[in-house]
Amino acid sequence: MDSARSRTRRRESRDRTPVESSSNELAAGPEVDESKLRRGSWSNQKTFTPKRQKHEAREYRESESSDELVADADDYWRGSRNRRSRSPIDRHADSSSNDRSHGGSDEDRMSNGDETLAPGRDDMSDRSSTPAPSVEAPVKPERLNYKEKFVLRGHLRGVSAVQFSPDCSMIASGSADATIKVWDTLTGRLIYTFEGHLAGISSLAWSPDGQWIASGSDDKTIRFWNVNTGRAHTKTFEGHHNYVYQIAFAPKGNILVSGSYDEAVFIWDVRRARVMRSLPAHSDPVAGIDVVHDGTLIVSCALDGLVRVWDTHSGQCLRTLVHEDNPPATCVKFSPNGKYILAWTLDGCVRMWNYVESRVIKTFQGHVNKKYSLSGSFGYYGSPDVKHNPPLAFAVSGSEDGAILCWDIVSKNILQRIEGHTDVVISVHTGKLNGKRMLVSCGLDKTIRVWEEAPEDQEQNGAGASPVEVVTETIVQNDIASNNDEDGDNEMVDAPLDPSTTETTPALTEDVTMT
Amino acid sequence: MNLSLVDPFVLAQDYPDTLTEKLRSGHATCLRFNHTGDYLASGRVDGTVVIFDIETNGVARKLQGHTRQIQSLSWSRDGRYLLTSSQDWKCILWDLKDGSRVRTVRFEAPVYIAELHPFNQYDLTSSNLLEICLSTDHAFLLSSLLFVASLFEDQPVLVDISSSKPIKRILPSAPLRPQPTNGEEVDPAVAAKQAAQDAKHSTCVTIFTAFGNHIIAGTSKGWINIIETETCTTIHSMRLCNGVVILARLANNGRDLLVNSSDRVIRTVLMPDLSQLGIDFEPSAIKLQVEHKFQDVVNRLSWNHVTFSSTGEFVTATTFMNPDIYVWERSHGSLVKILEGPREELGVVEWHPSRPMVVACGLESGCIYTWSTISPQKWSALAPDFGEVEENVEYVEREDEFDVHPAEQVHQRRLDLEDEEPDVITLDRAEDSIDAEQAGMFSVPVLLDISDSESGEDIIAVGPGTMRRRTPGDGDADKDSKSAANSVARGAGRNRRR
Repeated sequence: MDSARSRTRRRESRDRTPVESSSNELAAGPEVDESKLRRGSWSNQKTFTPKRQKHEAREYRESESSDELVADADDYWRGSRNRRSRSPIDRHADSSSNDRSHGGSDEDRMSNGDETLAPGRDDMSDRSSTPAPSVEAPVKPERLNYKEKFVLRGHLRGVSAVQFSPDCSMIASGSADATIKVWDTLTGRLIYTFEGHLAGISSLAWSPDGQWIASGSDDKTIRFWNVNTGRAHTKTFEGHHNYVYQIAFAPKGNILVSGSYDEAVFIWDVRRARVMRSLPAHSDPVAGIDVVHDGTLIVSCALDGLVRVWDTHSGQCLRTLVHEDNPPATCVKFSPNGKYILAWTLDGCVRMWNYVESRVIKTFQGHVNKKYSLSGSFGYYGSPDVKHNPPLAFAVSGSEDGAILCWDIVSKNILQRIEGHTDVVISVHTGKLNGKRMLVSCGLDKTIRVWEEAPEDQEQNGAGASPVEVVTETIVQNDIASNNDEDGDNEMVDAPLDPSTTETTPALTEDVTMT
Repeated sequence: MNLSLVDPFVLAQDYPDTLTEKLRSGHATCLRFNHTGDYLASGRVDGTVVIFDIETNGVARKLQGHTRQIQSLSWSRDGRYLLTSSQDWKCILWDLKDGSRVRTVRFEAPVYIAELHPFNQYDLTSSNLLEICLSTDHAFLLSSLLFVASLFEDQPVLVDISSSKPIKRILPSAPLRPQPTNGEEVDPAVAAKQAAQDAKHSTCVTIFTAFGNHIIAGTSKGWINIIETETCTTIHSMRLCNGVVILARLANNGRDLLVNSSDRVIRTVLMPDLSQLGIDFEPSAIKLQVEHKFQDVVNRLSWNHVTFSSTGEFVTATTFMNPDIYVWERSHGSLVKILEGPREELGVVEWHPSRPMVVACGLESGCIYTWSTISPQKWSALAPDFGEVEENVEYVEREDEFDVHPAEQVHQRRLDLEDEEPDVITLDRAEDSIDAEQAGMFSVPVLLDISDSESGEDIIAVGPGTMRRRTPGDGDADKDSKSAANSVARGAGRNRRR
């Protein structure tokens, strides 16, 4: 593994600002100043609070409880009520219609922040959202333009999992050094380091309310960490006979599913920390798992090449998907609407399945994937004005050559090939904060990188956002890591903390209890 | 999302057949599902209310505040608030978000049944106003927050708890008598007799109609009164039976009424559309029509508790001194199933709002039993190239089945075939009307440190072969009582402030 300093980045000139960039060079005076300034302004904008402000209701159909009779009756009664105005229920009718208008999609809500927080995007929205509701369809962007925002260092070994919190204000990362680190998305500051696992972390998941991080480890356990208090949950989820490979929360947060090297899928009751159901899922290690947005389906995949869809409630297998060549499947993800499944396989393909018809409908290629369980996710792109232009979807994945690839779902074209990591990119996650679409990626080069979508015009101006390297305490740590190199990694040194970090985050590693 | 994959035959079965689960947390006497069927509230003999998560069968929240047996439970439409009534003469409105008490209302008698207005509270919770108001400690003006309560040997009341000081309005129990026409003299003796008779009526059951414009009240003399909520006046009365009306329930569609009375007959009654009143429908034209009478003429069983199925298609009842649950279907009025399982008499029975699932609590043990359907695993789902066939099928080989093509060519051809335009973002909008309600659906926060000492068996092993009942105060129960003490203290404090 090269140290970040000496790495040479291959980049396409279109992709990047001409600003010379090994962005973590402290010595680069003006840049540091700028970054300080920025940090200052960020802290003005947002003083960090680990507490989540509000629970954002996910919008989804609960198909299970669709009671058409009730619905019809409701409509009927409501309709008849409109003729009579003085009764108290009219208020209800009003409020429910209000509700409907409030209940816009996530995108909707987020985009409100655009004007205030992201003035730089004005030109973009001008360009793409035509002022009058235009007749012709908006031009579909051909490219994405994610730019590096932060490089987060601190892990002593490769980082295997990274995920935005549900409100995207934080990033959690899990590493082979058996620690989980929580970072502030806006500033790139380290908030917590959770220690307690006895072996490397291979997967983590945020609870839907953003309060807990669950982590699955090679020590066969799943542990819970509270982000508000910085403490570990007293109960450890024990039961798997081998490495826990991947975990996922059900949308309500009451159920956790885990896939393990012991070839089983466990459905856990989160409240009681007990296995509710064990699915005899596969005949090879279960590598990937996901839960659909309404919680009724679970998908699992294994190195035996099978992708299986399960009913959460009954625990029964509803579908098995196999590609003809039967390559080991390493990761699965439901699409945002739950109609498709994205499956990573070790033949260097990401396939999108229509699981109802058991058919591959898209194959995404261009990345290298022969050995590692790479994972990725779905993301949105297109105009930020979602009211007039529905967002487009892309699939994103890491690659073993250190790149991150974004494919358009429909055309399968590579929208952007993001270079920056110096080793295998294991995991990529998408998110949106203050109206800015973001990516976070992690890899075997021990770094976590945050990428932010930049307006395309900016790069022509040359005034492009110079990729800011927020170097927190990690400089010191980085030296340790590079001195020790590979072998020294086992020694888990708690990183000396930057004083500024200590000030802002009262509960730090010392408070983390080991259980 | 799973509907497209589940066997349609499994989905077609609409009533449960097997005992599947046993939930336990103390001695439950009273059950009620929330509107989506994700949670089951259970009221216990000791006054604790336990919210079960149906997906995990675990305890999601415990509410402590009552000191006597819980009599009834009523969920707000969005599932965030729960109104409980108890024999300790109190009704409490709980906020399930943090388990706090929003309102406590005292009466001068034990409460039979208390039911929240089906819509008004929905106004409150959907607006952010409530959040703000609640935090500033009840100093707020709610538009209207009503519930109706029937009391033991007392007049039923309509209670407005929009302000912290509850406003109680007494509802009439006496049936509506035909008004004397003009000029006609009323015989004082007859009038006195009538008054004496009216005084004997006491209301046992009060429920709201689907929109809450009216209250349906059942009296001890077997009368059904329809009372207008706004004016608290009876607009229609009808003698349904001779016995006491024990329980009345409305189906989800709001047009079918189920009445259990002490004469051992369960009646389903077709309700007129009361929302039409005053437009093209006069109170005098109201007519309640009995559709079915369900009874066991052989054994002369009487019924403990009755409920409609989610669609109103079935009627379910638990039997007195008998461990069976009867299920009738309504189109023909025939008995379709007797659910068996536990060896004890069952009390309250409830039907899940969307699934074919019935829960009932045992009178003796206080266990909650669950009946549902078990669908067999389809083996063809486990291997994609398997198919389940009824009989042998001759296999016809495709022309090109064993043709050999270079791998790249095959791959390329496959890629070329992928020319669809899938939409991975848009959610199905099929059930829009339901969605409007579910967008604001509240889900009880997941507490990781909830004590579930009682959700397991109450029998603990003390040695090889010897068991004993768990005594109160064992282990985690300590924590329980402590928190109870806390909440009592808190409640007391609040009362004092008032």
